[in-house]
Amino acid sequence: MSPTRGGAVAGAERRIAPTRRAAVDIRGSLSLVGMLLKYLSFATLMPAVLAIGYHESVVPFVGATAIAFTVGLALERGFAGATSIGFREGYLVVALTWVAAAAFGALPYVLSGDPQLDRPVDALFESMSGFTTTGATVLTDVDAVDRSLLMWRQFTQWLGGMGIIVLALAVLPRLRVGGRQLLESELPGPEIDQLADRIRDTARRLWLLYVALTAALFTALVAIGVIGKDGMGPYDALGHAFTTMPTGGFSTEPDSIAGFDAATQWVIVVFMIVAGMNFALLYRALVRRRPGRVLGDEELRVYLAVLAIGAIVIATEIWDEGFATGERAIRDGVFQATSLMTTTGFSTFDFAGWPTLALMTLVAMMFVGGCAGSTAGSIKVVRHVLLGKSLRRELRQTVHPEEVIPIRLNRRVLDERTLRAATAFILLYVGIFVVGAGVIAVDAAFQGPDLTPIDAIAAAATTLGNVGPGLGVAGPIGSFEGFSDVSTTAMMLLMWLGRLEVIPVIVLATRRYWTN
Amino acid sequence: MRIVIVGAGQVGSTIVEALHAEHDISVIDVARERLEPLAYRFDVGTFEANGASRKALQDAGVDKADLFIACTSRDEVNLVACSFARVEAPKATTVIRTSNVEYIQLWRAGRLDVDFAVSSELETAHAVSRSIGMPAARQTDVFARGQVQIVEFDVPEGADPSLVGTPLREARIPDDSRVLAIIREESMTLPRGDEMMEEGDRIVVIGSPEAARAWGTLLAPGAGTVEDVVVFGGGQVGTAIARTLRAQGIGVRLIEAQRERAREVAEELPGCRVYNTSGIDPDFLERERIGQAQAAVFAMKEDTKNHYAATLARVHGVPFTIAVVHDTISTQVYEYSGVDVTINPRAVTAEEIVRFAHDPRTQQVTMLEGDRYEVLDITTQPTSEYVGLRFRDMPIRGAMIGAIVRDGSALFPRGDDVLQAGDRVIVFTETSRVPDVEKVL
Repeated sequence: MSPTRGGAVAGAERRIAPTRRAAVDIRGSLSLVGMLLKYLSFATLMPAVLAIGYHESVVPFVGATAIAFTVGLALERGFAGATSIGFREGYLVVALTWVAAAAFGALPYVLSGDPQLDRPVDALFESMSGFTTTGATVLTDVDAVDRSLLMWRQFTQWLGGMGIIVLALAVLPRLRVGGRQLLESELPGPEIDQLADRIRDTARRLWLLYVALTAALFTALVAIGVIGKDGMGPYDALGHAFTTMPTGGFSTEPDSIAGFDAATQWVIVVFMIVAGMNFALLYRALVRRRPGRVLGDEELRVYLAVLAIGAIVIATEIWDEGFATGERAIRDGVFQATSLMTTTGFSTFDFAGWPTLALMTLVAMMFVGGCAGSTAGSIKVVRHVLLGKSLRRELRQTVHPEEVIPIRLNRRVLDERTLRAATAFILLYVGIFVVGAGVIAVDAAFQGPDLTPIDAIAAAATTLGNVGPGLGVAGPIGSFEGFSDVSTTAMMLLMWLGRLEVIPVIVLATRRYWTN
Repeated sequence: MRIVIVGAGQVGSTIVEALHAEHDISVIDVARERLEPLAYRFDVGTFEANGASRKALQDAGVDKADLFIACTSRDEVNLVACSFARVEAPKATTVIRTSNVEYIQLWRAGRLDVDFAVSSELETAHAVSRSIGMPAARQTDVFARGQVQIVEFDVPEGADPSLVGTPLREARIPDDSRVLAIIREESMTLPRGDEMMEEGDRIVVIGSPEAARAWGTLLAPGAGTVEDVVVFGGGQVGTAIARTLRAQGIGVRLIEAQRERAREVAEELPGCRVYNTSGIDPDFLERERIGQAQAAVFAMKEDTKNHYAATLARVHGVPFTIAVVHDTISTQVYEYSGVDVTINPRAVTAEEIVRFAHDPRTQQVTMLEGDRYEVLDITTQPTSEYVGLRFRDMPIRGAMIGAIVRDGSALFPRGDDVLQAGDRVIVFTETSRVPDVEKVL
């Protein structure tokens, strides 16, 4: 801008014009991602301790820490300088952080030399599936993997569940950025519910609740293990507590939860339901003791209603078709409905062989997901509710064009922009799902494995929704090992998109993101 | 009594008009053109100054005031003026006019340091809702916590002959009620048993709420309970009306021409259907079947628009129309063109404020026919010459007792009943006789 035009004040002029910086501060973003990776690198020390205890190799974990720390430090220092991390950089930081985390998580698998995991693509798939709390696996024989390495796999899900950046906001001394934008990009749901004035305190409270719930589940599982016959030992209990609360779905057992007793399965059902609830709401109910507001929450009611209907349909169907009877049929129905709707992905039965109605119900529930602000993936109940309300308003306005109808959620009027964003999200989500399913189906036709159309659909839905198991070869007791590298990579992208709720990743692909 | 009034707009002028005869009044306003007419018409002191200035208040003699009224159209000025008056004259009764419902709520909760807060919007809304509850009535008000209702009716053509054209003592008048006044072509009579009502008369009736409803059905047969009201205009008045009606379980449709405002109203009133349109679009009126509404209230900002919309609504078949008027002169236009009820928010507000200026024994005042007649609620003194008399023996001197409230419950006296000391009486009289009536009782 020339100083003559508009007669701007000299001071103001100086502030606007001189820093000829790029539209997006890439260097600053990389530096921040490097710093996050540096701190995240210490996470492998947890399984390293286990490895020492089990007399297994600590090299994969210590090696991963060393590599990630070095790379992180190099990025942080290499791009250090005056940064201007703001609203726009937030998307880039979040998207890159999750790629960096997945790469870091893959290091122990590669370094371990485990024959099932040491191919980089497989390792990256397993790691991405871990951090995004998907639970899809390329393992075919879980028992053959070192216990410390298996626990790392469980642990990645736990870290990814409440969010790496939310964790960083909660524990790191200070992030150089405001944080709200980062939190919004990472926490699921259309808008975040602040629990405190400071973002950092909000993040802390969420993580605290998350840790407390995980501890409660661990205790419950161990207790049942001590009393019951087929319960979990401490190792399994910890492993499954780590993957239930983030609605992850990795198991330390080859047949998932099927081998454990009924009490264990019911406890896991309860905690999966809790994990699919809005944590901010849970915090208010449990810590501030305001259960009234929680029970009156519109989203929660729809969530529980959909869950109940799905469970009833499935239980009735499998009982009727003779797959199970009595308490077993009810338990399998409730468990599987809960597991897939909350996008956990545990199984108590190889449901891939269930009748079509039950399968269709399960696939449909993968598209519902949990509540906003939960650790669940997929579209989320609240967006379905908002879409439903928008459609009902459209119908009403067709008849009464002049009528002004604000849309309310929990008696609060919603911004039109929030509504548009929810609709746009669903459209984008479905679009990406269709493309993903197409890629997987076409690739499978050329390179295998043998897929039915519904198997391809399930594979795309399960990875995009961060659920875990699909149908056919990728069913609950199967594995994604049979897919080609093309499909595996596509599914990694789907998991990444799904975990970050599409928008933060997709905006990076628009030209207007990179220009002013 | 010494009264200081801040604000010489319509509300202030109406108050001055009602009170100037018996009280010493000082009026403060920033605009000379509002003060001058008052100074010429009435014997009051005027001060051209900002009411929110402490000095101006001191000049006007606020320290000697018994009653302080802040009734400008700006809430903040009223509040500031009142808080100054509180300090200068701690014993004075303070009254503010406000358009903010929040202030009213604060005042009711005792969190606002004023003695009375009056809201034009709320008073108007209540007036509208009373009219809608009584479609045949021109005006209505309640006393003694709703036990006594005063209603002004037009006697329509073809009214029940057992009621109209029959001497009152033989007419089939509903129980617990009596006719207080018959107004015929500008002249008013306080009727005895031998008078009769005629078609085209205006009458003032007092009675229990049930009796008032019975009167309503006798004089306007076929008008049942109201379920569907259309409010034109979503300003503060329109919103207050819609909210009040909704609170009574009446279905409300509201029309607002400004898009943002329509959205705000829709957000504020969840139970109300809001349309963003001008209200004078015949296609819209037809499409939404506005003509099927039982009543329409016109609360838009301009009288001319209200007038046009009201006429159009009548063309579309709305049987009962109520207009909120802003300019006093519009009332005549409305009445001429057949609008059923007109409500002037400033008059309603002034009336509410004037209540505080009466004798401390007087609890409530309603004005009828502009400010020509008043209905008072007075506690009788033991020394009153009327105490101990039977009602049939009381001389009629320009006032009529319609009801008495004894031990908290209302009685509608017959000829043999006796007035006792300490009874609260509800009296109808001409405005000019108010001081006499207060003295005599």
